[in-house]
Amino acid sequence: MSGVPAQSILAVDDSASMRQMVRFTLEGAGYKVVQAADGNEALELARTQAVDLVLTDVNMPGMDGITLVRELRTLPAYKFTPMLVLTTESGAETKQRGKQAGATGWIVKPFNPDQLLATIARVL
Amino acid sequence: MQLSPLPAPDDDAQAPADRWSPERQLAQMLDLCEAQMESALAESDGAVDQLIKTFEGLAETMRGARSVAAKLPHESRPDADFANQLESMAEQMASAVVAFQFYDKLTQRLGHVRYSLSTLALFVCDRLQSSEPNQWRKLFTSLKRLYRTEEERRLFQLMLDGVSADDAKAQIQQSAESRTASAGEIELF
Repeated sequence: MSGVPAQSILAVDDSASMRQMVRFTLEGAGYKVVQAADGNEALELARTQAVDLVLTDVNMPGMDGITLVRELRTLPAYKFTPMLVLTTESGAETKQRGKQAGATGWIVKPFNPDQLLATIARVL
Repeated sequence: MQLSPLPAPDDDAQAPADRWSPERQLAQMLDLCEAQMESALAESDGAVDQLIKTFEGLAETMRGARSVAAKLPHESRPDADFANQLESMAEQMASAVVAFQFYDKLTQRLGHVRYSLSTLALFVCDRLQSSEPNQWRKLFTSLKRLYRTEEERRLFQLMLDGVSADDAKAQIQQSAESRTASAGEIELF
């Protein structure tokens, strides 16, 4: 897609259908999408290949999304990388935990494709 | 949970007293509900996967058509009506992306219900626990921690506050519009 650089986004969600919807939306806008099914897999991927943005769910088996954000922030390569949380959780307490872990923003599912893309463009 | 087979009505009189109990029968029914739910979800998962693949195929075709139209020489470009139709299709695709996500939410919520049923089945079999009001409170608290969505939490709290199931469902449905409005809510820190 013209005008949008091929930046890479790491999309993390344990739900295959959610990953497909995220990938469909982001690839349609010209982003390169790397996918992981939980925080552990995402952390491993992030260590081996640099990504421009992380979009993660919260509740996943293995490592949850908030722990993932916290772990990534300890890596020099991800100190300033935008990290958005995409979750069904809208509780203030969980949101606060995400903020403290180093998340850049919080998006409540279901996401609107246009709004998601606008938010990503804003933080990148 | 492995339970003794449900006795046929005629066998009730012969059922050994140590194998049959109302608690065990209740647990068996709860397990049955859980199993039915799991089976239905497994069946739906395959269908939804197929639906998503079909959707992606359609979306690719639409993107391809848009790309081809954009590359045509100016004098051969499709008219405004064609462009409007492509735009309308793109909007419908975006709506479908939102709609598909509700299946994920449904799966998540039913997963919590399934866990609750299994936990309850184990709980009722333990007479010592199930006869203690404090243990029930602990059970409610532990199940409440499962809930992630606002709808789950509200429904649970209404029922716990003594509101009937029908009234609780009605109250949740009444606020459906405001909940839909909060979906997609974005906050940048």
